[in-house]
Amino acid sequence: MRGKLLRPALAYLVTAIVLLPIVWMVGTSVKPPIEYVSPVVDLLPNAPTAQHYRQLIGDGILGKMLNSLIVSFGATFLALFAGFLAAYALVRLKLPKNADMAFLLFVLLIKLSPPIVLAIPLYQVLRTLGLLDTLAGLVLVYQVYALPFAIWMLLGFVRDVPVAYEEAALMDGASLFQRMVHVVVPLMTPGLIATAVFLLILCWNEFVYALLFIQTPSKFTLPTFIATLITEDETFWGRLSAIGFIASLPILALVGVVQKGLTRGFAGGLK
Amino acid sequence: MKTGRLVPLLFLAPALFLFGLLTIYPLVRVLLLSFFYTEYGFAGASFVGLENYAALLGDSFFRIATWNTIFFTVVATASEVGLGLLLALLVSKRFPGRFVVIPTLVAPFVLSTMVVTAIWRAWFHYDFGFLNNVLRAGGLPPVAWLFDPDIAMLSLVLVDVWQTVPLTFLILLAGLQSIQPEIYEAARMDGAGPRQILLRITIPLLVPHILLASLLRSIDSFKIFDKVYALTGGGPGQATETLSMYVYRLGFQFFDVGMASAAAVIMILVAGALAALYAVRIIRSESHAG
Repeated sequence: MRGKLLRPALAYLVTAIVLLPIVWMVGTSVKPPIEYVSPVVDLLPNAPTAQHYRQLIGDGILGKMLNSLIVSFGATFLALFAGFLAAYALVRLKLPKNADMAFLLFVLLIKLSPPIVLAIPLYQVLRTLGLLDTLAGLVLVYQVYALPFAIWMLLGFVRDVPVAYEEAALMDGASLFQRMVHVVVPLMTPGLIATAVFLLILCWNEFVYALLFIQTPSKFTLPTFIATLITEDETFWGRLSAIGFIASLPILALVGVVQKGLTRGFAGGLK
Repeated sequence: MKTGRLVPLLFLAPALFLFGLLTIYPLVRVLLLSFFYTEYGFAGASFVGLENYAALLGDSFFRIATWNTIFFTVVATASEVGLGLLLALLVSKRFPGRFVVIPTLVAPFVLSTMVVTAIWRAWFHYDFGFLNNVLRAGGLPPVAWLFDPDIAMLSLVLVDVWQTVPLTFLILLAGLQSIQPEIYEAARMDGAGPRQILLRITIPLLVPHILLASLLRSIDSFKIFDKVYALTGGGPGQATETLSMYVYRLGFQFFDVGMASAAAVIMILVAGALAALYAVRIIRSESHAG
């Protein structure tokens, strides 16, 4: 009997410890500064205040959020478009021998390379295209991560579409385009949505390229904006916690949407 | 599905174009740059052969960064896989509230690294940080989490562990759930105790998942940049300088593009080797599934 209670008790305890930093963040976001610069252990505020949230609006947080949204949706859309076509071709269309395997290995190599190693030539590419310090430039360079991830994840979903459905449509005289629009895309909708959610998370959290390729503060995304506050003197805990909380909300909501696909997406190595 | 020869190419065209522009060209370019000496940024490039590579081998900063990266990768990966396994074992059986516990445990993984870093930067604060407040409340001396050269790297590991154990946990939990219950029943019938079942059945059957989790985490740890950038900046001294930080500093702060590119090429080779191991595993498991 004791053993039966031990397991859930331990599981709850670990969960509480894991959650502690997040609870701290939410609590600190509504603490007045006098409370968090004190040598006392407390997670929740005694005198809650919305001052940090008000201050963030003054800092132009809404603009940064809009930048993050534009870049994340732009990059997700581009990666889904190019990734879906490529994944479909790799699974269903006749390609030169071993081309699909070579392609996949290449995708894998890029997916696993450290982002910093491509940063120097990418800087030149963006400068040549006139896209340095622009959100469009970020949408483009995020494809370094987003496209391999999209292809890798969509391959499985294309394989799950029964060939018989497509063959039936083919018999009825449907063109490739008609098959795509009326058969493949509808059957793949859940897969496309799951992939989109993971791409959105990936791009929403991206830091390295946003740090290197955006210089104008008004074009910062949320992660780069947070970084500017972290590297300064650490008296902004309230504001940092408030941004952290705001920046995490959409992601936590999105994860709720794809809970069942969590392992599948994560096993692809989201970060 | 039969189509003309052109159609598949058309389908692959957008991806090929993006890869060409954003990865193939940059890869070739970084390789070329690694053989050049550059004045400042890209100006005044002159071919120097392998001199940049030779200079790297002689650079104590590069050696320190390499050692730090290896240390971080090994310690972080081992801790994350070990803790992920313990957690997966803990929640693998049904108990009330399990459906809430599992998604909650995953939460840290989806937070942005910068959000994670912001939280831990505050927790590590010497005077008012949460961790030292807890230590003092327990009558223990405070720790200089980020400013003690012997501890700073372990503090980075701690943050990485908190953020990414959910990933190893999910992979290993999926592995545990794929083991047929009949195997356990048969073992119990033969009189095996819980410890024997764990060591002789569960762990051996989990080896493929343990390997997958270890590979994913080591590949990722090897790249570590953002946590170092925002938590320690590579310090104190060079105590937490990693290879990504080294390339960043050389390329984007000192504008020594040739040397930075040579270091990047070395990083690509190591990442490529890890990627090859990963690919072999993936292809094997795919052919099993198919």
